[in-house]
Amino acid sequence: MKVRFAPVVVAAALLLAQPQAADAHIIASRLGDFYTGALHPLTDLQDLILWSAMGVLAGSLGAAAGRWLVLVFPIGLLAGLILGRTFGLPMAGPAVDATMILLLGLLLAAAARIPTALLCAIGFGLAVIRGAANASDLAPETDHVLFAAGLACAGYAAITLVMALTLTFRSDDAAPAAAWRGIAIRALGGWVAAVGLMMAGLAFAS
Amino acid sequence: MIDTVRTTHRLVLALVLAIAALVVAQPAFAHEQAAAGGGLVRGLLHPLSGMDHLIAMVAVGIWGAQLGAPAIWVLPITFPMVMAVGGVLGVLRIPLPMPEVVVALSALVLGAAVAMRLRLPFAAAAVVVAVFAIFHGHAHGAELPSSANPLAYGVGFVVATGLLHLCGIVIGTLTRWPVGERVIQGLGVVIAGLGCYFLAQSLGAVA
Repeated sequence: MKVRFAPVVVAAALLLAQPQAADAHIIASRLGDFYTGALHPLTDLQDLILWSAMGVLAGSLGAAAGRWLVLVFPIGLLAGLILGRTFGLPMAGPAVDATMILLLGLLLAAAARIPTALLCAIGFGLAVIRGAANASDLAPETDHVLFAAGLACAGYAAITLVMALTLTFRSDDAAPAAAWRGIAIRALGGWVAAVGLMMAGLAFAS
Repeated sequence: MIDTVRTTHRLVLALVLAIAALVVAQPAFAHEQAAAGGGLVRGLLHPLSGMDHLIAMVAVGIWGAQLGAPAIWVLPITFPMVMAVGGVLGVLRIPLPMPEVVVALSALVLGAAVAMRLRLPFAAAAVVVAVFAIFHGHAHGAELPSSANPLAYGVGFVVATGLLHLCGIVIGTLTRWPVGERVIQGLGVVIAGLGCYFLAQSLGAVA
């Protein structure tokens, strides 16, 4: 069979010369608000640091204690979102964020073996604060249910992934590398605490 | 005929590659998150751009490795926090006496400690390092409020400082071998020499 490539090449070149964005009905069906909710916290460094530190803390305490956060954290985000949207509670701010970063960093650096109930309380409190912070940027035309679903899914995924990575990194306590891996996690906590301390100073100064 | 077929095949291959490149293309958001990125890069580069800071931080790591446990693991955990205390003083514009002189002195003292394999008691070594950490943190912290994104700047300079310590600790593991110990002592002499130079510079003796 003889294939004529030249017309194919010309046709393909013509097609490629006029590309269009493929808006595959996501915006039209308003599913875009789900992605807005999921991506919104990822654009904020406070959320990234706090969520990551929370996940590392949960992972450093072991799977039995940490797995509760998989449920508690997204629920806290939803609660914060509702509270922030309904009552407009200004729960988040530079000082609150800095204090939370400092607290999580100190707990990690000290390798504190906090009870599961306290871990859940900290996780829930943090999630409520950050949920309310994310609510402050909700536009009137945004579909709140889809935004909330996206935010909760992002919180679930972030906490679960970071906790799983930490658990994997820590490995078994009896393993030869467990000692230095524990120190690495504590050193990371020292870094987080240092950032929190400076941010607290900055919040105090301004 | 064969040449034509080859040319056509090449054209098709190039076309397939072009289509693949276009399929995986991403929009280039130039300067998106510029404040966060800029702050992070500025913070990361701040400890690296000042030679006096850089060599002192590496020397802290090497000295910690020479001292062994618990200094080798206490150091990376507590140093950033102590440095942050100095950073807060810098943020609050609380002046420290002769900061440039003390930062230069830190390189001299820490380099000399490495060169002489100085084995101070842990508490004494911790106090020495803590004092220097506060002065280094003050220098970094003073620039934090003016940063485009202070949080990103803080993250950057804490991470950079921690990595410099890690670099020093890794270099310090050479102490396991006799030759490595000599190399490290030589490095300590170089750091102390540079510290002397920076000290003279901060005192105005050298231009």
